[in-house]
Amino acid sequence: MSMNEHTEAIRVDGVSRRYGATRALDEVGLTLERGITGLLGPNGAGKTTLLSILATVNEPDAGRVSVFGLDPCDGAERVEIRRRLGYLPQELGYHRHFTVAAFLDYVAILKEITDRRRRAEEVARVLAAIGLERYARKRIRALSGGMRQRLGIAQALLGNPDLLVLDEPTAGLDPEQRLRFRELLSDLPRDPVILLSTHQADDIAAICPNVIVLLEGQVRFAGSPSGLAAAAGGQVWSADDRDHRAHLSWRGGDGRWRHVGDRPPAGAALVAPTVEDGYLMLSHAAGVR
Amino acid sequence: MTATDGGLALGGAGAADPAGGAGGSRVTARSRALPLRMVLALAKAEAWLLVRSMLVLAGLVAGGLLIWLLLHPVQPLWWNAAWEIGAGQFAVAIAVLVAAQLAAGRADRDGMVDLYASFPATAGNRTIAHLTGLAGAVPASLLLLGAAAAVVDLRGAIGTPSSAVLAGGLLLVIAAGAAGIAIGRRFPHPMAGLIGALALFLSSTLFQGGSIWLLPWEIKHDDLSELPGPLAGYPPAGAHAAELASIAVLGGVVALLVTVNRGRARVGLATACILAVAVIGLAGAAQLRPIPTTELNHLMAEVADPASAQRCTTADQVRYCLYPGFGRDLPSLEAPVNGVLAHLPARPDQLLTIRQFVPIDFTQPALIDPTLTHGHPKRQIDQWYAQLQKAPFANAAASAIYLPVGQWPAAGAPLADAHFALALGAAEWAVHLPPTTSSRSGFQSCVAVDQAREAIAIWLAILATHPPAGQLQDGLHSPRSSHAIQATWVRNTLIPIWVYPRARYLASSGPPITAAGYMLAKGMTNLPEQKVARVLKGNWGRWVNWRTTDAQLAAALGIPTPSLRAVLRTLHPRGAGPTAPPPSNEQSPLCTT
Repeated sequence: MSMNEHTEAIRVDGVSRRYGATRALDEVGLTLERGITGLLGPNGAGKTTLLSILATVNEPDAGRVSVFGLDPCDGAERVEIRRRLGYLPQELGYHRHFTVAAFLDYVAILKEITDRRRRAEEVARVLAAIGLERYARKRIRALSGGMRQRLGIAQALLGNPDLLVLDEPTAGLDPEQRLRFRELLSDLPRDPVILLSTHQADDIAAICPNVIVLLEGQVRFAGSPSGLAAAAGGQVWSADDRDHRAHLSWRGGDGRWRHVGDRPPAGAALVAPTVEDGYLMLSHAAGVR
Repeated sequence: MTATDGGLALGGAGAADPAGGAGGSRVTARSRALPLRMVLALAKAEAWLLVRSMLVLAGLVAGGLLIWLLLHPVQPLWWNAAWEIGAGQFAVAIAVLVAAQLAAGRADRDGMVDLYASFPATAGNRTIAHLTGLAGAVPASLLLLGAAAAVVDLRGAIGTPSSAVLAGGLLLVIAAGAAGIAIGRRFPHPMAGLIGALALFLSSTLFQGGSIWLLPWEIKHDDLSELPGPLAGYPPAGAHAAELASIAVLGGVVALLVTVNRGRARVGLATACILAVAVIGLAGAAQLRPIPTTELNHLMAEVADPASAQRCTTADQVRYCLYPGFGRDLPSLEAPVNGVLAHLPARPDQLLTIRQFVPIDFTQPALIDPTLTHGHPKRQIDQWYAQLQKAPFANAAASAIYLPVGQWPAAGAPLADAHFALALGAAEWAVHLPPTTSSRSGFQSCVAVDQAREAIAIWLAILATHPPAGQLQDGLHSPRSSHAIQATWVRNTLIPIWVYPRARYLASSGPPITAAGYMLAKGMTNLPEQKVARVLKGNWGRWVNWRTTDAQLAAALGIPTPSLRAVLRTLHPRGAGPTAPPPSNEQSPLCTT
């Protein structure tokens, strides 16, 4: 470990978590700093468990976690972490009979924003940030799925948290909303630590300077998106016909086949790998399908 | 980026101080203290939600209706009304229980447990906020209390309201809310609140007798509405309030026990729980104590010898004897009586006494209200029973009309009914109809069959109070069916009876009235008043003699004797012949004095 102790915001050391016979996390270790980190992994890889531990909702069976130097296992320090946290769980229900503004106001209180005027400003700010101002007085049950997801993001942004833990925040968003979400994260003040899990590799390529790949409860990659793409370097090629030696092939819009595999044929037309290609090679190497 | 032990590290240029310059291990004093401002802000939000709850609004409306139903039929007496207002809060309490349960279980039910767990507001703090937020139920409770108290006061309530008793209703609402939160914290499903409300409702209706003291929401305070004044310390409002407050505390403590995990806090809560249960037990025991013998002795003496307690006023040959505090009823009593006197050709020699009485059932010792005599030995109850046999009402006199305490209506149609009933009683006295007599086996009434004085009495009462004709006509029908009529056997003849709805307002002061008497009186009202008065005045002594028949009066007035054929057809439908008369000792006697 060569990390400077003074610059690391979050440190996870040998964290394991089991659910019965299932090992969700297996001695995970990583550090996070300010900026956006994408968390990639297939379903059941342990992403949600890791995020819930960082959000102080779950506790590890083994290992240590430090968030801004605070120990989430200590009651008082856990509260201090929560004061600096914004969390969007993967499956968030809503108080559907609340209006959008009332819901955000209620969450703001739970986040200890007790001054009424400040709370109103904060609610207005996050509503503007996610483009839901017009729906402030609408009941949540009247919102579409995408709007609810934006509301979930809005509640996480309340109080300008230092740590944003977002579990699949772009699920249910249409293409324009996804782009606006990228803009939103890019514009956040105070440069918080953002950890977001997603299945959208292009989101990660677009906005995350850092990416972690979690496979079967273990960190298989941590680095930049270009580094992850590079993991597939020389293993992506295109051809007029399908090549059955490839791990995965698909025909592009131009009618040519794009192949990802260990052994491109001699003289194959290699193409620049993407984050998706790198992720695919990692998961194939780990035996994950 | 470099790997840490067993993992990887992310690095990057320009990373800011992760702890915001605060240093990693520091925990502010704020972290350890109860975040009071957050709790208060959350409590305010919860209170506001409760204020705007449709459930609570529905409870408020139901509570208003309940109080109206409980108080509308009886005279407003503060020593009874305050309890009934508290009982009306039962509807609000049920609504608040359900609303509080829904609020407390909201996060679990809406799938927001993980999100809530990430907030600095701990589950314990949120529970405290929910409990504090029960303040939102207070306006509804106070609104109901204030409105009901204002209505009771406007109706001319007798006595003064007890703030301890009225506060009990508010405490009941708070206690139910705390119970709802305790349920909601453990069982978030909406059915749990409904089951809790159902349990509360059933507990208030299933348990009777001595156990009413342990149930603060017990609404059977009927006996209070029949007492001539408050009984000191009955029911014990202080113990009642302490019990309700302790139930509220117990609900809150249980709710916190569900959500607080810290060892020391749990020990404190468990101690509070034990203390609350102890106070509930002590308060329950205090309420279960019998009413002091001296208090009951005093009450029995007032009932057996009302003259010792009542104040009497004599005007126009009529003596009104009322318990202290009921003097404001006097003008309302005088009006119908004076109306009869004004149309009377001649007054009887005897003074008419109109007297209040306490309608405690004294016909059998076992029927003495168990809520009054609860906990007293049988010997003592027998003694009171013997004492009550001396009550004037038990030995009815021709010159007395008895008014049950608490039954005189304040206004509206019931007051009109009561006025007619009292006028009829006075008219019966005026025409020398004998009173209902009582015996150990109950009341025995003679029937003035074919006696002109009966029709004269009805005519006088109609002239004095002008009741609606339709209502008078309704007296021919049985209250159970608009087609059947009531009848009684007199000397082996089935006599149709006319019943005006007076029983609620007067103890029986005269004999049952025959349908024939009413029909004749109805015919008399069709004649000019002066003509009837002239006929009656001409030979008053004859008309009030029991031997003078309806036919003689009709002939003197120049009207036909009313036909009872239609009435009798109802009594004996086609194909069904008259039934055999019962033995003579089961038949009503003929009035012959």
